[in-house]
Amino acid sequence: MNTILAVSAGNIVVWAVWVIAGFACLASGVAVVSFSNPFFSALALIGNLGSLAVLYLLLSAEFVAAAQVLVYAGAVMVMFLFVIAYVGPQQETPWKGGPNWQTVGAVLAAGAIFIEVIVVLGLKAGGRLSHVHSVNATFGSPGWIGRLFLTDHLLAFEITSIVLLIAAVGGVILGEHTKRRDVAVEDAG
Amino acid sequence: MTLHEPWWISLIKAAIIVNLVLVLFAYLTLIERKVMGRMQLRYGPNRAGPFGLLQPIADLVKLVRKEAFSPSSAIEIPYILAPIISAFTALAAFAVIPWGPGWTVHGWRINGEVANVSIGLLLVFALGSIGIYGFIVGGWASESKFSILGSMRTCAQLVSYEVSLALSVLGVVMLGRSLNLSEIVHRQGEFLPFVVPQFVGMVIFFIGGIAETSRAPFDLPEAEQELVAGYHTEYSGMRWGLFQMAEYINLITLSALMVTLFFSGWHGPWGLGPLWFLLKLLGTLFVFIWLRTTLPRLRYDQLMRFGWKVLLPAATINAVVTALVVVWV
Repeated sequence: MNTILAVSAGNIVVWAVWVIAGFACLASGVAVVSFSNPFFSALALIGNLGSLAVLYLLLSAEFVAAAQVLVYAGAVMVMFLFVIAYVGPQQETPWKGGPNWQTVGAVLAAGAIFIEVIVVLGLKAGGRLSHVHSVNATFGSPGWIGRLFLTDHLLAFEITSIVLLIAAVGGVILGEHTKRRDVAVEDAG
Repeated sequence: MTLHEPWWISLIKAAIIVNLVLVLFAYLTLIERKVMGRMQLRYGPNRAGPFGLLQPIADLVKLVRKEAFSPSSAIEIPYILAPIISAFTALAAFAVIPWGPGWTVHGWRINGEVANVSIGLLLVFALGSIGIYGFIVGGWASESKFSILGSMRTCAQLVSYEVSLALSVLGVVMLGRSLNLSEIVHRQGEFLPFVVPQFVGMVIFFIGGIAETSRAPFDLPEAEQELVAGYHTEYSGMRWGLFQMAEYINLITLSALMVTLFFSGWHGPWGLGPLWFLLKLLGTLFVFIWLRTTLPRLRYDQLMRFGWKVLLPAATINAVVTALVVVWV
């Protein structure tokens, strides 16, 4: 399956899916920053992460695609929506959209990154963009990725786990602190 | 597996499986009402057709003909899309569940599942986590207090119990050495059903599963005494029907996953294959219905405390112990 996808890159279905997913990715990215209602922005971000997962699938990275949907489009974005739905309707949100210096800055930064990508692609590809690379069956499989995590990338993997642990502990401490202050206020009142 | 299944066989199989799951959903509502009726010393539906067998069809006709009412302040597009997303992800998840050993008929290969993917288990969880959005967006777009509270509860409950659910299957993945559901089933056929070495994992998966499908005693998202009907309060007609369908199909998929992971799937004596799978599936579904009639609903703080302070540590310890046993034995 993996090799079939990679070898028949000229396959019309693969091209069609690639074009659609790419455009969906860009369009949802623009939608994230242009919707004035944060709930719709968050929904667009889910669409963005989903279309990225499709692009990963085209690169034979099935595990990464599933993890992307499960962790980012699933768990992380649920938290975003949860908070936005709690914060309430859009008049309570700090930024209502419309052009200002943030928009100008965002457009300039996006333009700069776009030019950079084009330049890097031009330098690296050497005038040849259709590079067919065959991959073996274990490429992108969960077992292979796990082996890489525990051999070549062990340090990065462990540091990430410690950073996440610190974040979790920090969250608990912040939550505890708020609760204690509430109790103190109640006692004083 | 030397022969490759042609794409049109996959397509026909997908159509058949989708329809079978929908029929099972329709009759699961009848079975549930019948079993609950008997447990509460009454008959349950018995007017439409012999033994009430036409009841699901009568329900369907009623729902289709009912006006699809929507509140005037509802946010149109997400309001309509929400039940569709939920129903779609629920149905799609069933594609990777293996229900037979696979056959070769007239030289054509027929696999025992719609899609044999290497990351089947992850796919079921990923689709489940996308399905949550239907419930959240539906409640939010209804612009109603009851709906939004129901959504919030669904969201908090599903996210909390998803962690335990995912951790509880780690033991099975380590013993099966694969995320591919067919391979996990094969290994159980050679070895023994994983319920034996992973009994704790099975219990955690079962409890987490009840919470994931929002069924009693974890049906707080739809607690009718407090929230009318939770996130689908403002839905009627077939849109409500789609939400209901999503919930029941999620229950069917979860039971099928439990049969696959812990009760050796379609394996059984006399080579009956899919029939064993169906029998085990119905057995699991019966236990879900049985629990609904037996246990009272938990309080919200009890639910959260149980999820984070009992179930999650138990699932973690189970995963760690299994890992140690797999490495050193």
